[in-house]
Amino acid sequence: MKAGALVFGFILAFLAESLPLGPLYAQLHPDFIALFILYWALSSSQPLSYFVIWLIGLAQDLIFGRVPGSDAIALVLMLALLYAWMARVRRLPPWEQLFFIFFLLLAQSLISWLWQAWAGPIVWHNALLLGAALGAALWPLFTYALDRLQYHWPQRKG
Amino acid sequence: MSGLPFIRPLPSLLRVLILATLSVGVSLYSVEHPNLRQLGLNAAEPLLWLNGQLRDAWQVCSQYLQTQTTLRRENAALRQRLQVLEMENLALPVLRTENQQLLALLDSFPTAPGRVAVAQIEAQNLRSGSQQITINLGAAEGVYVGQPALAPGGVIGQVVTVSRNNARISLLSDLSSAIPAKPLGGNYPCLVEGRGDLHSLSVPFQPHATPLVPGTELVTSGLGGRFPPGLPLGVVKSVEHASNGPFARVLVRPSANLAALNTILLLWPQTRNASHS
Repeated sequence: MKAGALVFGFILAFLAESLPLGPLYAQLHPDFIALFILYWALSSSQPLSYFVIWLIGLAQDLIFGRVPGSDAIALVLMLALLYAWMARVRRLPPWEQLFFIFFLLLAQSLISWLWQAWAGPIVWHNALLLGAALGAALWPLFTYALDRLQYHWPQRKG
Repeated sequence: MSGLPFIRPLPSLLRVLILATLSVGVSLYSVEHPNLRQLGLNAAEPLLWLNGQLRDAWQVCSQYLQTQTTLRRENAALRQRLQVLEMENLALPVLRTENQQLLALLDSFPTAPGRVAVAQIEAQNLRSGSQQITINLGAAEGVYVGQPALAPGGVIGQVVTVSRNNARISLLSDLSSAIPAKPLGGNYPCLVEGRGDLHSLSVPFQPHATPLVPGTELVTSGLGGRFPPGLPLGVVKSVEHASNGPFARVLVRPSANLAALNTILLLWPQTRNASHS
């Protein structure tokens, strides 16, 4: 993935994650950072560094005021699950891949939720399930938009 | 990304375990060192600034995109509201004078509500019980940790983290939020706690013979000195008595609509001496 498109994509994902568009959006929107990392991992020819992903998750925790470490480890475990089934998933038809994306997003939000439950009081919210489902439903649109972004992003000269 | 170095000297499982241990360490460290969260808020400033620009652009666009019918309807509703408020306003000078006379008789001057500042929401985090919003005022404007935050209707929460230009407010509905309260016009002390739901708060540890009944208005009691007394918190919406439980389950509807926050008022409570001067 082109470095410029990668940075721009992450800025957009962080923005989308925190936009103050009311409680419905706040509770139901998919985790755009997790979605972007999945896209990055699937479109990259080399495996991503777990440590880099952990740092991105830690930044997410600190910026959004969550328990530091919760999203960091959730993203790392999501990536580990993706790599464990990567070869099999790549052979699946696109609509079956959606189930896998849903499963990964759900695992990521559940791990983050359990981590926060360990650190302090927390309640179960169906939005965790709905956010993952919405993320999977948006996956084709999301990948299409990012493919276009990559395609149109100017190549670095030299 | 092809440009980044991908060093894999250790097996995957071991690397995940090391990062899990690091996460535990960071989580435990953050409990003892709350300034780590302040650091995060400082780091988020460019993002929050961008969010603010997007919000303003969205508001401008939505104003232009409204239909004539919507604007006419809104205008009619506002005119109607203005008429009602003008009628109510007529009685205010009389009531103010009467109140001052009564308070003078009681030798107790009212504590003025103090200075307020209007803030806009820059970001929100309303998931899994952690219900916080980030606003566009910070330490540069004198915002401090523990400062009361209000919205039309009443109290919405308090400031928990402050950076130079931003502050994070923990809403009443946050699971870690608890505010000393009392019924309006009464002296029965109680606590109003968040339960991770924007539309419902709770009053814990109430005996079955609690004087709180549906419809009771709860206000801040002023205990602890963080919130001035008398600010509206909510209205009791239900009191349930489970036969096997030691306490009644009291649920409260917040006075301010936490699900539709737009403009936030930050309050600098004035001390009694300051209000005299």
